[in-house]
Amino acid sequence: MNLDFLAIAPTVIIVTAVVLLLMVDVTFQMTHRWWGIAAALGFVGATTASVWQWIEHRGDDGELFFSDMLAVDGFSSFAGMLVFPIAGLGLMAGWQLVRGVGRRGAEFVALSLIAASGAHLMAASANLIMLFIALEVFSISLYVLAGFTRKGEGADEAALKYFLLGSLASAVFLYGIALIFAATGTTSMYGAKAFLDSTLILRPGILLAGIALLLVGLGFKVSAAPFHVWAPDVYQGSPGGVTGFLAAGAKIAGFAAMARVLVVPLGSYIDDWAPAIAVMAASSVIIGTLFAIAQTDLKRMLAYSSVAHAGFIMTALVAGPAGIGDMWFYVSTYAFQVVGAFAIAAVVSGALTGRSPLSDYAGLSGRSPLLAAAMGLFMLSMAGIPLTSGFIGKAAVFRAAIDADYLWLVILGLVAAVGGLFFYLRLIVVMYMQPEAEDAAHPQVRLGTRFAVGVAAVVTIVVGFVPWPLLDWVKDAIPL
Amino acid sequence: MDLSLSLIIFLPMGGMLLLFGFGKRIGEPGAGIVATLAVVGSFLIAVVLAFDFINGDGPAETVRWFEWLPAFGVEAELRWDQLSALMTLVVTGVGSLIHLYSIGYMRGDPGFGRFFSYLNLFITSMLILVLANNFALLFVGWELVGLSSYLLISFWFERPIAAAAGKKAFIVNRVGDVGFILALMLIFSVFGSLGFDTVFEGAHRGELTVTMATAIALLLLVGAAGKSAQLPLYVWLPDAMEGPTPVSALIHAATMVTAGVYMVARTGAIFELAPIAAATVAVVGGATALFAATIAIAQRDIKRVLAYSTISQLGYMFMGVGAAAYTAGVFHLMTHAFFKALLFLGAGSVIHGMSGEQDMHKMGGLARKMPVTFATMAIAWLAISGIPPFAGFWSKDEILGVVFERGGLWQVLWGVGLVTALLTAFYMTRMMWLTFFGEPRWDDGVEPHESPRLMTVPLVVLAGLSVVGGLVNTPFKATLEHFLDPVFEAVHLAHAPDGSLAWILAAVSVAAGIIGIGAAILRYRSRVPVEDGLGWRLLGNGYYIDDVYAGVFAGGGKLGADWLAFRFDVRGIDGAVEGIGSLTRKAGGWLRPLQTGFVRSYGLAIIAGAVGLLAWFLSRGGI
Repeated sequence: MNLDFLAIAPTVIIVTAVVLLLMVDVTFQMTHRWWGIAAALGFVGATTASVWQWIEHRGDDGELFFSDMLAVDGFSSFAGMLVFPIAGLGLMAGWQLVRGVGRRGAEFVALSLIAASGAHLMAASANLIMLFIALEVFSISLYVLAGFTRKGEGADEAALKYFLLGSLASAVFLYGIALIFAATGTTSMYGAKAFLDSTLILRPGILLAGIALLLVGLGFKVSAAPFHVWAPDVYQGSPGGVTGFLAAGAKIAGFAAMARVLVVPLGSYIDDWAPAIAVMAASSVIIGTLFAIAQTDLKRMLAYSSVAHAGFIMTALVAGPAGIGDMWFYVSTYAFQVVGAFAIAAVVSGALTGRSPLSDYAGLSGRSPLLAAAMGLFMLSMAGIPLTSGFIGKAAVFRAAIDADYLWLVILGLVAAVGGLFFYLRLIVVMYMQPEAEDAAHPQVRLGTRFAVGVAAVVTIVVGFVPWPLLDWVKDAIPL
Repeated sequence: MDLSLSLIIFLPMGGMLLLFGFGKRIGEPGAGIVATLAVVGSFLIAVVLAFDFINGDGPAETVRWFEWLPAFGVEAELRWDQLSALMTLVVTGVGSLIHLYSIGYMRGDPGFGRFFSYLNLFITSMLILVLANNFALLFVGWELVGLSSYLLISFWFERPIAAAAGKKAFIVNRVGDVGFILALMLIFSVFGSLGFDTVFEGAHRGELTVTMATAIALLLLVGAAGKSAQLPLYVWLPDAMEGPTPVSALIHAATMVTAGVYMVARTGAIFELAPIAAATVAVVGGATALFAATIAIAQRDIKRVLAYSTISQLGYMFMGVGAAAYTAGVFHLMTHAFFKALLFLGAGSVIHGMSGEQDMHKMGGLARKMPVTFATMAIAWLAISGIPPFAGFWSKDEILGVVFERGGLWQVLWGVGLVTALLTAFYMTRMMWLTFFGEPRWDDGVEPHESPRLMTVPLVVLAGLSVVGGLVNTPFKATLEHFLDPVFEAVHLAHAPDGSLAWILAAVSVAAGIIGIGAAILRYRSRVPVEDGLGWRLLGNGYYIDDVYAGVFAGGGKLGADWLAFRFDVRGIDGAVEGIGSLTRKAGGWLRPLQTGFVRSYGLAIIAGAVGLLAWFLSRGGI
């Protein structure tokens, strides 16, 4: 047994921060500044630990720890380097909400930390049971976060829906694990891989059914059609300060888990699952784009757009191991865009409220030119306009799919990307060309939000102009 | 070397980012101090790094950041040679003084922090421009200075004139950029690379035909003319005076507008192969110099005099680099940066003291009220008028000398330059007299006063530079020429005459300056003549070129745009796009009822999906 506590350093640091935060808060009744310091320590420490793991284990130098429960490799450390900063940015953008809920703010901060840790563990799990636990740690935190304002319009509904449907998906996922165990006799991903690589299963029905059920659970997490149905209601209902991390974190963790499960233990069955992934990708792209067009609420529109993005990301996964780097590229750039966009939504419509009707954005360019410009940038990037990171991301996943002979999926993705222009540009038109409402207030942008939006915008532009460093890095973000 | 050279760019970049995020919080004067320190830091580093060059034994160096566009063989790479060192020193040196001055000038402005973050952004962009080692990075800097100049011109964007001026500068510069981009494409198509070394060595080896070289050089000229405000793309610069005065000094006198001159000097290897294009550069420069000088005579706004004067002086530089006198052109660029920045800052000090008044007819008699401003501006006045031993004399004289020495039709251009020198002396004297001498003509309630120390110290430093700056390159001791020699090693340089001819030419140009000054003193000594004849109005309105442009280009463009927008677009493109759009929207509308909001129907959807997946997987292998 390979016991190395440095291997779980990110988790340990986060848990320490959480315990400190809760204990100290109960004892001393700290102000929200101290919560912020605790959260910052947790996130910065965990990110640093992930960077250290990345330096040690990137590329081919991955290792398994704790009886093959955890994998520390380029894949997991990249996920850590992504999810902790993203969660930190999300929390900064939602700080208004932390201040707005009084003493319960400490719980909010703690839950954000736990959720980030769960998301990272999902990427690092080398055992299906471990993966399930990580998924639940992540999900349950998110259920609570989504309904955190309680009396907020739609927040309780959002949380309950998310919880009920999430439980259904978890149950199906667990059943899938059981079937995989039945077929291979192990829940270790690397054990299953060794078994499947060396054994020819004549009637692989059990195994294949297991894959199907695993895909249901993970498809739910990343909001891929047809398992996306929860996303619009939850995105719209949950308070503005939560949605950014909820959207970005779920994509990072969900796709990390999906990629590892598909490529590591089930890599030899790629001919069976790749077509299913392709169909899910296609339907996500179509459904996400079509539904997004009809929306009049920004957060709902972004929810459907995230369904479409899930489709684009899965487009990379049809290439199997070769597509993992491109998946990471797309996921990481999209995470920054979506955190930035929801941070702005939290400013414009309020961090405690759920809804964010498009009419709130009329004439935003006049009231707050920088916010409007940043929002415009995120929209252009999500639409995949050149010189933004979104363009490079789409180019990367499409190239992966072409190399894997899924040309039809690429053509469909291109058509959907053009259709997506309609609703991304519509927001820009609303912001820049429609007169503002007379009673529209000049939005107050707090420092945390400013920082989060600024970082997201800089990443979006810089990666759009200079994508090569990141494209090189993601080549090393591969599972063991 | 690597780090320190990068730091030259990173310091102001860091200042920009810091102030962009926290400018308001840092407040006044902290934000200004941070920004100033960043630029001063860059300047000091540049001085240290340039030491080897000054000693005369430093090799040119490159610093590679990262591979930027591998597909085009483009790397993000900096180049540190004598030319970029000189430009860096001018940009950061004059820039530091202007930053310092701005702390005083912008006091109390609500956008104080924002202003300094823009200033640092500008310095960053300009440094990228002059330190780039390939055309792609040069272009990045080129566009960034355009952006920051737009931001700074329309800094007081709540004033419609300022916003319109910013827009105008942006659009006119885009016209120039089209030429520049086309030039870059041609360069890439010929050499398969955008790196300076590859391109210039290739040009030297004869990989470039004369036709192609001419085409590239002319397109580069279009780009340079846009950035450096040359005919016919000069129209944006006078309007750009709507920005805060330090901006005019920094961008529209000392640094950004000289980017075109720098670019022509940098690409000398290409212009050398295209004598027609080089001559065109010189002719454009000469014509602009004379044209703008005549307009400057009849301006009443003190900043507009300086704006047209800048255009005119840039014309000199173009004349110089067009005549292959790259050292002389760059030399004039440097001295001009000193005295024109001084003039602008002095004018800012006057405007500051006069509570925002810019009309010279309402000034007069300020010499006693603002002694430091007056004394320093007087030095700049003599410098720009070409009176020895001030800085402007040496550089202007060298350009004129080179142009004369080339003989033939070039001597016509020399004549143009000489007349311009006379006009320059005239309108600068007019400006000085109307502002500082004669009877006070102030509006009621205006109490002129000297500006604070923070603003006068930069004036004094610049005045010192305007006195001695010219001595770095005199016919007696051509230090700058030797300094820049390694850069222009491969290029055939034209040289100034020597011997008695040099003395005669110098005497003639000094005489022109003195005549101009004398004529203006005679005219404005005792009274302010009424200047509203037809000729004065024609000149005062800049030959109505703006109105012609508005009618022909803007009007014609609007007609064309109207046709495109209301005919072609509505019927043709919109028909197609809206067809798709309305189809998808309708489809979206039909689908919408599917999203009912009931958990049970959502659960059903998930189960249905699960069944679908199960069906697929089970069809691949039996149970």
